[in-house]
Amino acid sequence: MSEVAIVDYGINNVRSVRNAVDYCGFNPVVTHDAAAIADASHVILPGVGAFGDAMSNIRARGIDEILERHVREKGKPFLAICLGMQLLARTSEEHADGNAPYRGLGWFDADILRLQPNDPRLKIPHMGWNIVTRERDHAVLANIRDSNLAFYFVHSFAMHCNNQSDIVGWADYGQPVTAIVAKDNIVATQFHPEKSQDSGIELVGNFLRWNP
Amino acid sequence: MLKKRLIPKFLLRDGRLVKYTRFFDNERIAGNPVTTAKVYNDYGVDELIVLDIVPSEQSRGRVVEIIERMSEEIFMPFTVGGGVGTLEDVNRLLRAGADKVSVNSEAVRRPEFVREAARTFGDQCITVSIDYKKMGERHASVYIDGGREHVALDPVEWALRCEDFHCGEILLGSIDRDGTMEGYDLDMIHEAARRLSVPLIVSGGCGSLQHAIDALEAGASAVAISSMFLFTDHSPIKLRSHLASRGLDVRTSASSRN
Repeated sequence: MSEVAIVDYGINNVRSVRNAVDYCGFNPVVTHDAAAIADASHVILPGVGAFGDAMSNIRARGIDEILERHVREKGKPFLAICLGMQLLARTSEEHADGNAPYRGLGWFDADILRLQPNDPRLKIPHMGWNIVTRERDHAVLANIRDSNLAFYFVHSFAMHCNNQSDIVGWADYGQPVTAIVAKDNIVATQFHPEKSQDSGIELVGNFLRWNP
Repeated sequence: MLKKRLIPKFLLRDGRLVKYTRFFDNERIAGNPVTTAKVYNDYGVDELIVLDIVPSEQSRGRVVEIIERMSEEIFMPFTVGGGVGTLEDVNRLLRAGADKVSVNSEAVRRPEFVREAARTFGDQCITVSIDYKKMGERHASVYIDGGREHVALDPVEWALRCEDFHCGEILLGSIDRDGTMEGYDLDMIHEAARRLSVPLIVSGGCGSLQHAIDALEAGASAVAISSMFLFTDHSPIKLRSHLASRGLDVRTSASSRN
């Protein structure tokens, strides 16, 4: 049975993502090796930490080129989570402190901006269980009822898409927060499916069974 | 908008699930923490809090092992604490699978630690846990070292300072009500929720479905519950349906069957 590559770019904790893949009945391998990613049936880009550091690690390990080849050119099913999703944007203003924003992979015509909820009582980070409204259907949401589309979010920055058709779902946190984006063989979630109980595990399982 | 949360709170002593009344009396062994966590996972609770109440070098290793085992089969946020005093302690628990680490005594002894930990791991990772006792009608005082050492701090004032140090949330526990199932300290919850801007998890006293409603209506973001779930027939499923039926904004999940 082929494996599911969880891309290792030097971040602290990929344990829950690995456990979630295993729980769904697939074989996870945590790796940044080009051959292992080439052999994998599906690829997951997890993410915790800061955008700038993550992108430098990805470039230093040549992961950007590996993903470009196997995901974008060859069409391997790909799921990015939280910061992983943000890395798919063109730019991020996270910790740019007035300098030019960090450059991401640019797979989505989108930018990462700090959350600015319209209610001062709403705190940053946006942390906790929030409802996702389905903008359109997608294979990863198969068999999840709208009433169960609650997922666990922890983030201070969010994706702003220039192309509305990329958006699969959004959450309300004093502003619309892009929660799921997808195009072709690529899907990404701002929330942590690996921390979102049944609905999250269902989403991970749907992704692993997805053959776009 | 964010949902109100139901959070079972596990106290561990030498890796066993235990429960007391008012922190020290009436010890009861309450089962295997991993098995119990799985049951609560099936009940669709929103998070788990796991606190090592008599931390030692040996117990730290057990807690790490328990969290690692829980994270193999349970996919929700974990807050873990007890004896956390260094950045390495925080790191070890995060690596084991914790999403947030709770700091209590060390925050009082060395408040700068909260800021350091928040800066290193992110504000959202650091929960400050505050235990207090009422001192007469109008005053309350913080206790550290598992309720053994009194310190001259007002719990709400202390919580506000921790917020300035960038903690992600506050876990506020009444020692007087712990294990009594007589209801939460609602005056304190009102006061704390009104003044704090970070999420407030309240602990100590929940014994009925109404108690949980009272605490959430008083402004708590989340209710931590141990005795009621361990020793009564009020399960998280029952509590969640009851809260939803009373109009409180709680998550529905496939497993909670509502």
